[in-house]
Amino acid sequence: MMTHEESIEFLATYALDAVEGVEREAVEEHLAECPRCRAELDAFREVTTALGNSVEPLPEGLWTSIASRLPGRGDDDRPPMPRLMRDEADGADGGDSGEGAVTPLVRARENAPGRGRFATVAAIVVAAAAVVTVLSVSLVHANDQVSQLQHSQGPAAPPGAVVAALETPGHKVVNMEGADHVRLAQFVIADGRGYLVTSTLRSLSADHTYQLWAVINGLTISLGLMGQRPNQTTFTLAGSPSVSRLGITVEPSGGAVVPSRPMVAQGTV
Amino acid sequence: MQQIGEVSDAQLVTSIARYSEIALAEVYRRHGGAVYGLARRVLNNASEAEDVTQEVFLRLWNQPDRFDPGRGTLRSFLLTQSHGRAVDAVRSLNARRLRESGEARRTATAEYDMQHEVWDLAVADQVARALGDLPDDERRAIELAYFDGHTYVEVADLLGQPEGTVKSRIRNGMRRMRAQLVDAGVQGADA
Repeated sequence: MMTHEESIEFLATYALDAVEGVEREAVEEHLAECPRCRAELDAFREVTTALGNSVEPLPEGLWTSIASRLPGRGDDDRPPMPRLMRDEADGADGGDSGEGAVTPLVRARENAPGRGRFATVAAIVVAAAAVVTVLSVSLVHANDQVSQLQHSQGPAAPPGAVVAALETPGHKVVNMEGADHVRLAQFVIADGRGYLVTSTLRSLSADHTYQLWAVINGLTISLGLMGQRPNQTTFTLAGSPSVSRLGITVEPSGGAVVPSRPMVAQGTV
Repeated sequence: MQQIGEVSDAQLVTSIARYSEIALAEVYRRHGGAVYGLARRVLNNASEAEDVTQEVFLRLWNQPDRFDPGRGTLRSFLLTQSHGRAVDAVRSLNARRLRESGEARRTATAEYDMQHEVWDLAVADQVARALGDLPDDERRAIELAYFDGHTYVEVADLLGQPEGTVKSRIRNGMRRMRAQLVDAGVQGADA
């Protein structure tokens, strides 16, 4: 066991990652038990952070590569792809019963070992982050728009949440267009939540699903799975005013971590 | 309304703990360039630096609870990870012979919280100056260890000095730089 005095001698060198082997192990063993040495190490690490803090432009495609290695389909030890939340106001219409239980976009890790302390804090953070989004206020004639959307959706009235969203000042309507600018779906985003208002997306076979994506600062990020017959779904943007586009792809039923096929519909936020 | 750009790093890590890919993307946006920049500087190889950057962010995704906000900033944590992995790569691949000369470019990322970025880079400039002001023996030992990824034993060998001497010089140099940061009023600046 390394003494405190011996450890002190090593800390600056250790902060530079220049201690190896048994010496490194001994320092780490002592650090685990010595708050004074940890504080000293943290002070040296402020220096090394400043020494190493030069920013380089990130290579194109690196984020996609990272995202593709995040936990995904077919990895039993990892969490499944997040699924879009079904709007509670939508009730149990059973329309997508083949899709099973719906999981919120941001999944809790409460069950993961060693992560309990995140659970409650995370709830607050996610709530805070979810308030976000979409700042520009376009004063829309909400009632007219609701009528128009109801009309476009046919006899099925949109659930209350969608109407409420459309009446929220500052909401945004995103038209999702496919080839030849044909509108295939429409979302409304208000207070950090997005709702599918209408959809004419065709039904998919059981082994496929629609998947919704957001483009944020040039990065394409999965918002979740929409199922085979998108109906009334809800998603939460962990808030960013910089969501520039939404896109929908058709993916294998478990979803994909990065879009594996061209977008079937896209819309500018 | 709180925008994601205003969410603190610590809050983002908490969201990552709940599998928020958007939070991870935001951390990548804020700190990816620094993580990659340091790895590239140590490795002098873009492809290996990308591998290190991937490892760092995947590890944050898989083990977010390893970040302790009480012990420093997320940038510091990620750079420590990046440096450790880059050094491991240098040592295991014996990549030094492949390295070319050249300095990492220092450019602020447009999207990152500019106040933090400017502050971080100001601190970096301060430390770079402090490094330049060190006695040659101390400065050289620190550079060989930190930027070239040598162990202090290797540094001693390269400089033809006793290991204990090198260790002391590194320590003295680091303390001097630390003191300069404190004198310049940037102590704990990024905390």
